[in-house]
Amino acid sequence: MKEIFKLIGVLTLISAAAGLLLAFTNNRTFAHIAQARNAESLRALAEVLPAFDNQPNETVFTVEENGQHWTFFVARQKGAFAGAAVESSSLKGYGGLIKIMIGINPDNSLRHFKILEQQETPGLGSKIVDATFHSHFENRPFVPETWRLKKDGGEIEAITGATISSRAVTEAIRIAAEVYSRHADEIRRTGLPTTP
Amino acid sequence: MGFWKEMKKGLWDEIPVFRVVLGMCPTLAITTSVENGIGMGIAATFVLLCSNITVSALRNFIPDKVRIPCFIVIAATFTTIIDLTMNAYAHEVHRNLGIFIPLIVVNCIILGRAEAFASRHPVRLSIADALGMGLGFTFAICLVGLIRELAGNGSLTIWSATGWQWRFPSSYTPTLLMVLAPGGFITLGCLLAIMNRIEWRRSQRTPGHAYQPRELDCRHCVICKPQSQSST
Repeated sequence: MKEIFKLIGVLTLISAAAGLLLAFTNNRTFAHIAQARNAESLRALAEVLPAFDNQPNETVFTVEENGQHWTFFVARQKGAFAGAAVESSSLKGYGGLIKIMIGINPDNSLRHFKILEQQETPGLGSKIVDATFHSHFENRPFVPETWRLKKDGGEIEAITGATISSRAVTEAIRIAAEVYSRHADEIRRTGLPTTP
Repeated sequence: MGFWKEMKKGLWDEIPVFRVVLGMCPTLAITTSVENGIGMGIAATFVLLCSNITVSALRNFIPDKVRIPCFIVIAATFTTIIDLTMNAYAHEVHRNLGIFIPLIVVNCIILGRAEAFASRHPVRLSIADALGMGLGFTFAICLVGLIRELAGNGSLTIWSATGWQWRFPSSYTPTLLMVLAPGGFITLGCLLAIMNRIEWRRSQRTPGHAYQPRELDCRHCVICKPQSQSST
């Protein structure tokens, strides 16, 4: 009987000490992690958006569509609409989830996009992050029917040996473009000073 | 004297990946680049060092019956600390290594050294053991990473945040296979064969030096040994 209390006591003490140490570390790193995450998303935004002078990650337009939550980050330069960015994703990648940040020009064409997350096959599907593949999309106006792979009747050239990855990316961008087109006016107004 | 001896054994005679054949999971999974190897090596060495010090300092305080849960709690604590710290200060590497940082908890090297060494030796020697084993592990996964990155990607990255990367001339077509899962097994197999060969040559030259080929099995894992000895 006496032994069991000793065992319980030792385990409790060690766990408590571990808890304290973890609480302390969490306390010290919490702000840094949030900052690193924030910087990461701002960097991704700056990469896909044209020049802006506002805080796009605070000027947002959100809409619920296709059972998904869409957040448009609106960029403004001297008050004028400079472009928007939106995060889209597809679960149809070869390695599952692909997350993309898409930048839209004020003239309703695609500016850039950036793959935020992907687990595609290295060397094949992972080429979706390469500039060669991106060049098929850049400055292409939003005509959703053309935003399909050539194999599927569209105009996008798939990556050799990575049709599934290419299709997933194309589809994710097309859906985001459709949502954007439906709400373009509201998005363009987002962040304007509210007139009385 | 003992300090250097304990440290040196982790670098060759009992180098975790090639001789004791422990820690295979991160070795095969994250060694697609040297940078990943360095990040993983540093993280594992930190956890190993802290857990060895703690286990060794508490070795007379922890009752034998609950030693394994205690070791796990200790390893888990330091793993979480390095996980949070890397997330805060080395965000990119942390993202590349993904799930393998939290998995350091169940890395056999950590538990193995706690059980086989730190719980039986004073703090000073445990530090030497942790440093040796940690550096041995880092060196081993960096070596695997170097071979795989060079062959499979045609590049060499030490720390991508600095933007420094060396590349083969573009006429070189990378052997994709090497950065895929099979490449990990092929590289590891060849390195194990080379290690066995070197050891065999050594045993030929020095009489009394027993040659023991190492294989990928659990015979060399130290965790079960004390138990099986006590049960027989």
